[in-house]
Amino acid sequence: MERKIGVYVCECGPNIAEKVDIDKVIQVISSDKDVAVIEKFKLLCSADGKKFLEEEIKKHNLTHLVVAACSPKEHEKTFMEVSENAGLNPYLFQLANIREQCAWITEDKDEATKKAIRLIRAAIGRVRYHSSLEKKEIDSNPDVLVIGGGIAGIQASLQLARPNRKVYLVEKAPELGGLATNFEKNFLSMKPLQEIINGKIEEINTNENIKVFTNSEVEEAVGFFGNFEVKVKRTDTEDEPAQFNVGAVVVAIGSKLFDSEKIPKYGYGKLDNVITSLEFEKMNKSGKILLKNGKPPKSVAIIHCVGREDKGYCSEICCMYSIKFARYLTDKIPSVKVSNLYSDLCIPGKTNQKFYEETKGKNVNFIRFSDAEITKSKDQLSIKYNDENGSKTSLTVDMVILAPAVEPATDASKLAEITGISQGDEGFFEEEHEKINPISTSTEGIYIVGSAQGPKNISETLVQSEAAAGKILSSLIPGRKIEPEVKTSQISEALCIGCKTCLSVCSYGAITFDEAKKISVVNEVICRGCGNCVAACPSGAASIKHFKFKQLYQEIREAVK
Amino acid sequence: MAEKFEPRIVGFLCNWCSYAGADLAGTSKLKVPASLTPIRVMCSSRVDPVLVETAFLQGADGVLIAGCHPGDCHYDEGNYYARRRFAILKKVVEGLGLESDRLRLSWVSASEGQRFADVVNEFNEKIKKMGPSSIKVKKTL
Amino acid sequence: MVEKKHNTDVLVIGAGIAGIEASLMLSKADRKVHLVEKTSYTGGTTIKFEEVFSNMECSTCMVAPRQQELLQDNNINLLTLAEVEEIKGNPGDFTVKIHKKARYVDMVNCIGCNACFEPCPVSLKNEFEEGLSERKAIYVPCAGALPNVPMIDTENCLRFKGKKCTACQEACMFEAIDYNQKDEKIELKVGAVLVATGFDIFDSKKLPNYGYGKINDVYNSLEFERLYASNGPTEGKILLKNGKPPKTVAIIHCVGRDEKGYCSSVCCMYSLKFNHYLKSKIPDVKISEFYTDLCIPGKSHQKFYEKMKETKVNMIRASNVEVAKQGKEIAVKYNNGSGKKGTLAFDMVILAPAIEPSPDASKLAKTLGITLDEYGFFQQENIEDSSVVSSKPGVFIAGCSQGAKNIQDSVSQASAAVGKILSIST
Repeated sequence: MERKIGVYVCECGPNIAEKVDIDKVIQVISSDKDVAVIEKFKLLCSADGKKFLEEEIKKHNLTHLVVAACSPKEHEKTFMEVSENAGLNPYLFQLANIREQCAWITEDKDEATKKAIRLIRAAIGRVRYHSSLEKKEIDSNPDVLVIGGGIAGIQASLQLARPNRKVYLVEKAPELGGLATNFEKNFLSMKPLQEIINGKIEEINTNENIKVFTNSEVEEAVGFFGNFEVKVKRTDTEDEPAQFNVGAVVVAIGSKLFDSEKIPKYGYGKLDNVITSLEFEKMNKSGKILLKNGKPPKSVAIIHCVGREDKGYCSEICCMYSIKFARYLTDKIPSVKVSNLYSDLCIPGKTNQKFYEETKGKNVNFIRFSDAEITKSKDQLSIKYNDENGSKTSLTVDMVILAPAVEPATDASKLAEITGISQGDEGFFEEEHEKINPISTSTEGIYIVGSAQGPKNISETLVQSEAAAGKILSSLIPGRKIEPEVKTSQISEALCIGCKTCLSVCSYGAITFDEAKKISVVNEVICRGCGNCVAACPSGAASIKHFKFKQLYQEIREAVK
Repeated sequence: MAEKFEPRIVGFLCNWCSYAGADLAGTSKLKVPASLTPIRVMCSSRVDPVLVETAFLQGADGVLIAGCHPGDCHYDEGNYYARRRFAILKKVVEGLGLESDRLRLSWVSASEGQRFADVVNEFNEKIKKMGPSSIKVKKTL
Repeated sequence: MVEKKHNTDVLVIGAGIAGIEASLMLSKADRKVHLVEKTSYTGGTTIKFEEVFSNMECSTCMVAPRQQELLQDNNINLLTLAEVEEIKGNPGDFTVKIHKKARYVDMVNCIGCNACFEPCPVSLKNEFEEGLSERKAIYVPCAGALPNVPMIDTENCLRFKGKKCTACQEACMFEAIDYNQKDEKIELKVGAVLVATGFDIFDSKKLPNYGYGKINDVYNSLEFERLYASNGPTEGKILLKNGKPPKTVAIIHCVGRDEKGYCSSVCCMYSLKFNHYLKSKIPDVKISEFYTDLCIPGKSHQKFYEKMKETKVNMIRASNVEVAKQGKEIAVKYNNGSGKKGTLAFDMVILAPAIEPSPDASKLAKTLGITLDEYGFFQQENIEDSSVVSSKPGVFIAGCSQGAKNIQDSVSQASAAVGKILSIST
């Protein structure tokens, strides 16, 4: 097929024109093979410039377009649109950066001109081997699977469900509510939490767009953004698993507490009246804060940071709920003496310090400590510890409440395998980007919220659940097709030797292995086009559209001249 | 009279960080040797032995691979693979009978225009001292 | 009665990291977004940082692709140098009046070549660079600022003060400079509003015991960020006023905490980040961090702290910190954890001041009809429920304008607000 490449050099005012001898460039390149036309223009990105290009493409029936101008980061999109408007496939275009990476950095005009010629010839050589690429469109399912019926899953479900978007909410336990149902109050507001949770559960139960599965677990969730196939099995019956499709998955399986028995010196599990924070919450909610002997405690110590050293992170919520516990205690047992033993008081957030200051007082004592050990002392408990000066001292109390670290839920690894998302070193699910994409995972369409993503309080959990809803509402729209990345990897059936190296290097899980044919297959919907598999492939079977070897080869050829 | 040696360096720049850093060197009007011709790839992990070999066989005096700093890769871990491959690539270069120092890997972030300029200037000087690649010399004989 | 059609357009106030995230998400959902930004650039405070904790990722690399996406997005109407003057109406049907200041540079014609700066005869302190370097009256705040189009500071430009000067216009080859541009009053109709106007830092001058503003080489956190920045006033070289690199540095946490009454949540982490900054440029530097309680919640943060401890940073639990000149050095007096007094000498002191609401917050709150909490941040309607819902229906809040928080939490709030906006049935 005859190629007609149109080459247009932008003067960019004086920016390129003064540093590069454009006339010389034109003179040298005009006789190059396949160059149908080469012209200069004052400012190609202007309205006039774009109109000029469009007319040129049509006038000369150009098969390819090369523009020598500024950085592709500035105007690649602009000129691709121009091509498209002129009826030329936008991928049959190449932009040669002769401004930022030539005119603006090269002192000598002669050298700049020679370099511009190299860059433009590289673009011409490359574009010859460009293929027309079309945007793909695939149908998507707007429904959502929410795994975990605690406060996170509940909030996400309520935000998402509507007539054109069904939510499937799967909960392992017999009832919805999760950990938060054990708390009488939430710190800060100190208002009864059960009412709020019950209200939300009521909303869920009366919402005809939310299907709730209790006593159930997700067995399978395979696929990709817009198209996940799900199997949910009831754990209390022998029924066949329910099967349905969704477009997105929200993982909200919560967390559990570090096992305090792992720290023998705290005496948990051995000594009476040493209890964990969760046990205390339950005790408090039941209305009776009592020792093993049936009497209310006269003195209580709350030990922060239990297991912090073992886990290697601060669990964020413990200082605040320990302050809350002090309030529970002094509200319910007016004469009780409470001692909070802490290492660093972690109370970020605008109203948290006030909450702390209004709690400490005559009967609530905050003691900085290190190295504590709890032993029986008659019918009380003796806590030996180092105070903030490092001196050994001790405290005798009736009851000790331990604030253990927050850990990933027991099922975290299982869920990670089922969904294909990864866990970080600490076991919590790993977000796509720590700062600017904390809800997404590297698997598009699967989101992580709540303490499953990392220890956090209820307020932050609600924000994350709504954030996941925001992500889904903005990217998975009923009726709208999904447009995946165009410049994806492809694996030649003929050349693939079945070594599976590409599978191991793909950060996105975009490659699967076809056991029948014994070859690797790229899922072009998931592929992000990085090219890692291409470099890893020992047989040259993998290639990336628009960054194929033969295209880059042309650039190399010119670059060394 | 010996002709002054003008190196030809091929630079594989990743689209996200290093290409942007190179652009910033331009916007800041820094001086960067014309000996380097940039070739954009989406990720430094795209750079494979074939590309590096081809560059040297075609007569490149030096090859620079630039990517995002470790931890910053737009595709999560691509640059870690690039780093690991670099060790093998050095062997490839030696296998061609060239000094492995003719291949360089540098991390350049999008805000490091000056660093990009410095890296290229320094590499250019080094290649000038090393002289033209023996493959290039053989080709021209 | 005819039902008023619910307007699906959204007004986002503030083009920092939260505003950018929200705008891009809303655009993806095919909503038209009017993004109103007070300054001439996008990115807010995040683009002042060279790196962010805890993986020390390059901040520009993180934000720039989003800024570029924003500028090229057809659904997003970015209005820089603009502020909201008035809002009337109800959710689904707000009428907003915007005052947009003239830039005096045409955003279409300008190609960002910067040729207009050099000939400008006026030079003054650059606010973006925290006063550490100068700019001209026609300027962009820093290299790499987006949009890469300068503005004319009419308060200092000679021409706008009545003198004859056309230096910048003469230097421009693209006819981009237009002295005749006028401020505009723009009326917009939107269905919802998101406020993401960011924060300011506590003015350390208010606490004379820290010596800020009196003693040389006492910097606040933003000044130090700019010193370290590779596109900053010293191109990233950390130098004292005498031109030499410091040998000893003190980083003082919790500046203004007592006055403000809350912990600003990010300072311990960025102070540790500063330790990393210093060690990477000056490997032999000796650093002491003066803190009260180490606040480093988050699954990856303690790991970073442990890594920093390996660099032999001296972590000192201290109270009653006082900074005074002592000969050629700076003395930091303090009470340690056991109450004993101590003094250490340093070349440089960096203060970590509290995060406070931006100075315009109360004015904006009044304009929008939303309430402020006792600290001056925008107040959430219901402490039990989502923190992004303000006291006024249809108006949402995100980021540090709602309370001091890190980037991750700001971005999450922005997403959550978008979730709320998109889930309003239309």
